[in-house]
Amino acid sequence: MTTATTTEGSGRGKAGQAGLSTAEERAAARAPEMELIRQAQAGSRSAFDALVRQYEHQVLRLALHLTGSEHDAEDIYQEAFLKAFRYIGNFRFECSFYTWIYRIVTNLCLDQLRRKKTRREDRAVLVDSSGDEIDVLASVSDERSYSNPSRELDRKVLGARIQAALGKLTPRERMVFELKHYQGLRLRTIGEMLSTTEETAKNTLFRATKKLRTQLAELRS
Amino acid sequence: MNCELAHERIVTAAYGELPDEQIHELERHLRTCAECGTERERLLALKVLADANPVIEPDANLVARSRQRLEEALDALPPKRWYEWLAQRMMNNFAALQAAPIGACLLLIVGAGAGVLGGYEVTQSQTARFEGQPKTSNRRPVVLEGAEIASISSIARIPNSEVVEVTYNQIVPKQMEGTLDDPEIRKLLMVASQNSDSPTVRFDSVDLLVEECRARHSCQATGIRDALMVLLRYDQNEGVRAKALEGLQPFVAEDVQVRNAVLEALLNDNDPKIRTSAISILEPVEADTSVRQVLHSVANSDENPHIRTVSRQVLSRVPQFQ
Repeated sequence: MTTATTTEGSGRGKAGQAGLSTAEERAAARAPEMELIRQAQAGSRSAFDALVRQYEHQVLRLALHLTGSEHDAEDIYQEAFLKAFRYIGNFRFECSFYTWIYRIVTNLCLDQLRRKKTRREDRAVLVDSSGDEIDVLASVSDERSYSNPSRELDRKVLGARIQAALGKLTPRERMVFELKHYQGLRLRTIGEMLSTTEETAKNTLFRATKKLRTQLAELRS
Repeated sequence: MNCELAHERIVTAAYGELPDEQIHELERHLRTCAECGTERERLLALKVLADANPVIEPDANLVARSRQRLEEALDALPPKRWYEWLAQRMMNNFAALQAAPIGACLLLIVGAGAGVLGGYEVTQSQTARFEGQPKTSNRRPVVLEGAEIASISSIARIPNSEVVEVTYNQIVPKQMEGTLDDPEIRKLLMVASQNSDSPTVRFDSVDLLVEECRARHSCQATGIRDALMVLLRYDQNEGVRAKALEGLQPFVAEDVQVRNAVLEALLNDNDPKIRTSAISILEPVEADTSVRQVLHSVANSDENPHIRTVSRQVLSRVPQFQ
């Protein structure tokens, strides 16, 4: 069997052949998953459980990072897989199961983000060593008396500022940035998951980075 | 390349999505444009800053808890009824056919051909039968008193004669009596709750279904709970929606779907009485932050001052919520 990876310097022909066998190998690797999906569509609970095990970490990772809450991530996990169970009969193998399940999860996360947007954001607060509250959304004056600010506190403050800046994006912008920057997906895949085009996903990413740069300009200075 | 295009390509390149030939073009532009060079530096700095909010792997306890909860929910789902299996099978077969267009076309051609041939044969045999009969046909159907004609399926003229054949569908009013335990009665009530034009009929049917749910007579297995959620979300009549909400009250604590339907009603229903009732039936639910989030939103932004006040009062009992 031809190896799946191409090395630098290989000719275009070889690369083409290797690319074809990569596609073939991908198809072959997906065959067991397709069989599992068919069994799940026929009503096999154990097949569905096997599919859940394959994707549960990714689902939780995404939901946890977006919502920042284990409870919310659990709720999204629950709803996503229940929906998948209910509608697996509608899966037509037109895209990968990975894209299909992620589409469900991203829609749920978008709903969650939209719900959060309708209420005033809870202000992120930390408590310093003297018991005073620090509002990390306000600019922190150099004159404020911390007693030995630790690197951990700085990191948490910075993380909270990033989260606040991410919170200012629209739900769609936040989702595209999350999927691209944090989850490392390709723009074409992101477009499929959000039922849009690669070009639209690219434009959304551009808008998101522009807004984030404006929000975080003071941090860089 | 102008700077506006360069700014867009800087973002795409930073995330590894720019084709090779465009990278080369961009690099050429950046060598000559200091402003765009700064723009790229800013974007790279943003990427570093954004990593201060790292992605955390879910810990084993969270995974185990989530999986356990999912398994319980899946175990609690009612088994599919035979007609649901059949419909699903048919849909899957149809989908398989869609994916095989040549097969689908062949099937269509064969089916159409068989239909035409069969129709021709039937017509020929009917012509042969009618040739020996008097011109006035005895085949007038008996129309029942009070039975409406619902629709006409087909009209066909018998060749070489003045006889016309009309196929029609009739609505025949019927009556049925039974208790709420009777599955046929429950089925009819569910149809009435969603398909009747009269709000009074819908209200009466929902009232009876709610009574059935309150008595906890297999409310979930028969789909009554789902029907009540649909009514709460979509019925045009506020009396019907209020009754559906009343019927869902016992299940708010145990069923996430019911809770979500009530929260949606609290956010979106245009009747203030329904929104007020929704608040009152939201019992303290452990580990559901959605309830608190929605109450916050309603307390801040509902157009009705009484509802805002009630929401704040409920929120003041925050220790009961998580």
